[in-house]
Amino acid sequence: MLLSFILITLIAVLGHSEDFLGTTLLSRPLVLGPLVGWVLGDLHLGIIIGGTLELIFMGNIKVGAAIPPDVITGGVLGTAFAILSGKGAAIALALAIPISILAEMLLSALFVSRSVFNKQFIAYAECGNYRGIQRLHILSGLLKPLLMGLITFLALQLGAGVMKSFLDSIPAWVNTGLQVAGNMLPALGFALLMNLMFNKRVAPYFFLGFMLAAYLKLPVIAIGGFGLIIALLVTQGKGSGAEEEEEDFEGEDGASAGAHGLDRPASKLNRRDIRRLFTRSLALEANFNFETWQNTGFAFAIIPALKKLYTTKDSMSKALKRHLQFFNTSPYGSTLILGITAAMEEQNSLDPDFDSESINAVKTGLMGPLAGVFDSLFWGTFKVIAAGVGTSLAIKGNILGAILFLLIFNVPHLLLRYNLTFTGYKAGTRFLQSLAKSHVMDKLTYGASILGLMVVGAMPATLISIRTPLSIGGRDSGVGLQGILDQIVPSIIPLGLTFLVYYFVKIHIKTTYLLLGLLVLGFVGSISHVFA
Amino acid sequence: MIKLTRIDDRLVHGQVAFTWTPALGIDCLLVANDKVAKDDFQKMALGLAKPSGVKLLIKSVPDAITWLNDTRSANHKILLLVNSVKDVMALSNEVAEIQSINFGGIRGKEGAVSISKAISVTEEDTAIIRELLKKGIELEVRQVPTDNKQMIENLL
Repeated sequence: MLLSFILITLIAVLGHSEDFLGTTLLSRPLVLGPLVGWVLGDLHLGIIIGGTLELIFMGNIKVGAAIPPDVITGGVLGTAFAILSGKGAAIALALAIPISILAEMLLSALFVSRSVFNKQFIAYAECGNYRGIQRLHILSGLLKPLLMGLITFLALQLGAGVMKSFLDSIPAWVNTGLQVAGNMLPALGFALLMNLMFNKRVAPYFFLGFMLAAYLKLPVIAIGGFGLIIALLVTQGKGSGAEEEEEDFEGEDGASAGAHGLDRPASKLNRRDIRRLFTRSLALEANFNFETWQNTGFAFAIIPALKKLYTTKDSMSKALKRHLQFFNTSPYGSTLILGITAAMEEQNSLDPDFDSESINAVKTGLMGPLAGVFDSLFWGTFKVIAAGVGTSLAIKGNILGAILFLLIFNVPHLLLRYNLTFTGYKAGTRFLQSLAKSHVMDKLTYGASILGLMVVGAMPATLISIRTPLSIGGRDSGVGLQGILDQIVPSIIPLGLTFLVYYFVKIHIKTTYLLLGLLVLGFVGSISHVFA
Repeated sequence: MIKLTRIDDRLVHGQVAFTWTPALGIDCLLVANDKVAKDDFQKMALGLAKPSGVKLLIKSVPDAITWLNDTRSANHKILLLVNSVKDVMALSNEVAEIQSINFGGIRGKEGAVSISKAISVTEEDTAIIRELLKKGIELEVRQVPTDNKQMIENLL
């Protein structure tokens, strides 16, 4: 047992190391669930629990400092306890939710207290000690996986026995109720996603996705394919972006900014140096803290370039201090800013008249807007499709779910992230200006929202199963209500429930209340035999 | 109609483009900032982050006041973005419609104290905040729409 506890702890540590590993979503329950199941000898159940948890936490996204419940600790422990005591996904859920909320508080405290190291970072920068900065970035970054690993281990070691006898004492009707309630909870995840993506303009695509899934029974991956084709068709047609005149935008050529990162007389940085910006960017979020956010991650990534460009202690110190200023952007697009910054640093090192202030001006000018672009694209589209496809397979116990989830998200992510480093370095801000002029971003975000929303529309029809055992007419001769519903609008109950929750999200009912509300609805519905 | 007035020193970014805009059904982002209004590079960058189907206006604070008090703005669902407490004070003095202000993000700087995860204020900011509170304006801290509102007066 000790060995499996240690292995599960390592799984939690791996999940929390994601901040070193490019925020590649390997921390999601869809991925960690099967790992825990495998360690405990029930891979199949691990896959199903992972898929179920993913559904419920689907709407929890990480943007900026908004820290969602810690689904890593909650998911790993919930899955482990459920499998250890021979229970199913419903129990895993019931445990994962409170644990992840508690763990999130702990993480917030860590992100606050990490700021104490900032003085030390500055002190290192003062004397040009880039090694110190790199070391502290890694050490402080390791605090999160180590601390959460320790907690996971203690919880397993001290709690497993107690948890088993507690779970065994739960009467069967509670278990059944929990199962029905658990089936309802994904509606909350879908509603939270809709809250981010649903509006009148793109609403038809949601229903298109729903109908393809409900009537034609198409798998999510096929709906994603249709979504992609439709998005391409719609954005290719002229004027489809419904662009207005943009009165306040006329006449700007951006000539003043056009010079950044271009026309370099000589180049000190080679391909390898640029590639290192990409590899090091994977640890961008390792030392995330609430005072200066990703600043040390940015410094960590650009240090190899700085080492080449600045050979005196004084110039190195200045450069380090520049990059220890507040920084926060979407990790997925961070390399674009790193590339642009490296090009500017190179110019700065060659040209004594270069205004080094402009480096931070460009950095801070871009970090917000680019976070807007890449967060929407990755959280709103790639993650949604990956999770839609992944969970639809995982809830049937198919390990391909986890694998496809990682591939669908990370193949575009890593390709784009890698190439953006070079784009940023070579084309500098001119690349962004041409993007801005061509309105290509508008088409991209519009197309991405169509694609994302079609997949979200498919979710109520494929990923939740809420059925009613009610029948119309006499007890024996009655006609099953569900049978009638299936003939008119299959999956109408999940769809209706999703919209009901969406309505409550819209009128600002707290997520916690909605969660409890759904649990109660599931329980009551199960006991009164309205839902099954 | 102003749906939200937000202080956020990164102006348009992930939280704004991806959570607030859809959640409130915003069709117009109005950035009120004197410096950005004159900076073509910044304007270009903010234009990139503009969500699809939403209008982006970047105006100096005085121009923003004029526009907000003009009837033309009435048909829009506006998210007003500023990057400092000072600018929000100037706006709220002239635009009666601003009765609630959302504190989204003010990064720490020399002489500022952190009052919430993403909010740091200087003494000068605090003085302005107290004035706004005296005027009966709601000042709440939320990064994303699903956060629970925290009232500034409980954090100072």
